[in-house]
Amino acid sequence: MTFRRALVGLAGAGLFVAALDAYVVVTLLPAMTGDVGVTIENFEQATPIVTGFLAGYVVAMPLLGAYSDVRGRIPVYLACLGAFALGSVITATSGLWTFAGLPWMVAGRFVQGIGGGGMVPLALALAADLYRDRARTVALGSVAGLQEAGSVLGPIYGATLAAASAGAGGWRFVFWLNVPLAALCGLGLVLATAGRAGELASAPGGRSTVDWPSAALLGAGLGALVLGLYPDDPEHRALNALFPPAGLVAMILLGAYAWRQVRQLEPLIPRELLRSRAFAGVTAANVLVGAALIVTLVDVPILGRLVFDLEALDSGLLLTQFLIGVPVGAVAGGLLGARVGNRITAAAGVVLSALAFVQMSTWSANELTIHAGPIRQADVALALCGVGFGLVIAPLTAGVLALTRGESHGLATSLVVLARTMGMLVGLSALTAFGLYRFHQILGTPVLTDPDLRDRVKHLEQLVAAAFLQEYREIFLIAAALCALAAAVIAWSLAPARTSGGT
Amino acid sequence: MRGNLAVVPALALMAIVACSGSQPAGDANKILRESANAMAQLQTVSATLKLTKGTISIQGFTLVSAKTAVRMPNDSDTTYTVKQQDVSFKLQILIVGGHVYEHIPFTPMREITGPEAEAFPNMAKLFDPTTGFPAVIPAGTAKKYVASEQLDGVTVDHVSTLYTPEQVRGLLAALNSSGPVAADLWVRSSDHLIPKAVLAGAFGDAGAQAAIEVDISSFNAAVSIASPSPSQ
Repeated sequence: MTFRRALVGLAGAGLFVAALDAYVVVTLLPAMTGDVGVTIENFEQATPIVTGFLAGYVVAMPLLGAYSDVRGRIPVYLACLGAFALGSVITATSGLWTFAGLPWMVAGRFVQGIGGGGMVPLALALAADLYRDRARTVALGSVAGLQEAGSVLGPIYGATLAAASAGAGGWRFVFWLNVPLAALCGLGLVLATAGRAGELASAPGGRSTVDWPSAALLGAGLGALVLGLYPDDPEHRALNALFPPAGLVAMILLGAYAWRQVRQLEPLIPRELLRSRAFAGVTAANVLVGAALIVTLVDVPILGRLVFDLEALDSGLLLTQFLIGVPVGAVAGGLLGARVGNRITAAAGVVLSALAFVQMSTWSANELTIHAGPIRQADVALALCGVGFGLVIAPLTAGVLALTRGESHGLATSLVVLARTMGMLVGLSALTAFGLYRFHQILGTPVLTDPDLRDRVKHLEQLVAAAFLQEYREIFLIAAALCALAAAVIAWSLAPARTSGGT
Repeated sequence: MRGNLAVVPALALMAIVACSGSQPAGDANKILRESANAMAQLQTVSATLKLTKGTISIQGFTLVSAKTAVRMPNDSDTTYTVKQQDVSFKLQILIVGGHVYEHIPFTPMREITGPEAEAFPNMAKLFDPTTGFPAVIPAGTAKKYVASEQLDGVTVDHVSTLYTPEQVRGLLAALNSSGPVAADLWVRSSDHLIPKAVLAGAFGDAGAQAAIEVDISSFNAAVSIASPSPSQ
């Protein structure tokens, strides 16, 4: 019992640390980009620092679970921890040497993502290996919960740690810290499993190698998509000049990947379920929820820095109400789902988030001074947004689990995370491209006639802040639309009765 | 017998060390004089300046780095990367035909005049034969030949010296040191030009210690420094 708990706890801890790093950079971006020579006028170049991690995460996630079936969970998990630590070192050393510029930092983030993404199916599979029946569901839920919690806590964790370690490397410290944390988790796993390899026998029927064709299809497809959505000239166009061919290539490659995956999943998940409206709907809803969720996680702290003129730590803390709202909503979602059904609960959650986004689309530059009673109006909107997203987590996960057999719950749960992360990756890329284009459109080419350079820069800061505010208002409206669409998809795909949540 | 044999490798080692290019062998005075003459002949040059220690402010902003292209005697195109809090941005100062233009991000280039224009150093003056590097290079004290080294595949003589605060301030007003400034210069053996220099001294903000690394390149190569068009 203790052995199993220790193993799942250590694997979950490693997964939590890796998930923290998905959005840890959000509040650190200005300092990080400055140290690799990216300036405010080329801020679009910072996008791959976030999307690089997500791309690695998405590529590794579906690949390594099956690989570990034969190679063993612990060795593959340790390799992922090693990759995560290596990526952290590469990221932490960015800007220290001439050759270690932005590509070095993006490469570090990608390697981090590979390691972190690989840990998701491995930790889930480990939990599935070690537990049975109801205990398995609890273990899988705990691991998935750690992954979700790490993702949403990342921005505030990064800002707090960087502020606390200002004299010890600042943002670099956040990444250096990953090395001892990964080492501790790895050492713990090695010690815990020493002499007990027999208790971790590989699952039967697994493939013996990484599915390289799938890896190549997914990696190349995502690469083409991210390239197509990279804003190479945001002053003049929203999308990359290569968007049409890159988008087409991405569609073909990702389509081929999906087709291949569906064929391979069929033995594990029945064909009729894979092709069912519920499965397609839950997957689509997760993609949409991921795209909307990333708006809050990334754009709110940046809005805090650039528009509300907050320090890094305070911009991270701006997310506090949202971060409190998510677990509150998640617990409420579990309870409500059991009472009124997954469809109503999930749809109500995304509608609540949509309404919060609509309110956020009216924010002004002095929003943080506006109070609704004793509470800041912005905090109310963010809290409701978080509760809405929390409400939707459990019903959507339950919606997928309800379609699968018990032994496939780990796979099903990682499909939920994969769909949401894919939505985050595509959503962030597309909305950043749109946002930067709109920013340039709104700002135009202002002529500054203030007599002093500092006054001109100050004046420019105000104009830039106003343009960013308008840009983010529009992005919040798009996020509201994504949530509304997710609500429609949920209403269309999930069964109305509460039975959709049961197995 | 054993003792005698032990002497052989020691002697061989001494011979290798004596023949090695890394041993002090050059005349620092001569190298710096030749270097000054070579640098005085430059018509165009590019340089990047990077702050490697401490903080230096320019016009109230924290300097991160600067990149300049120079056409003698008076034209220069310099882009300063500066920080305000932790947000970096580029500030371009173009000096051409006696006019000074400023480019702040997202805005069109505009001409500045008077004290505001004078507040920015003209990097072309750094290479002026009578007041810039060529005049100051041989005027240091405590000159010392450090070693013959390889820099980007080119053989260079590494020389160290000390300059007075006045000498350094004369080069670049922003380098306002309260004490002597230590300089490490790498002089190309072939043409005596200086591809790299490191200056360290109390020229940081509030007299704190600071260090800058200057990489000089594109000696007498074509540069494009033109007055901005109206649309810019």
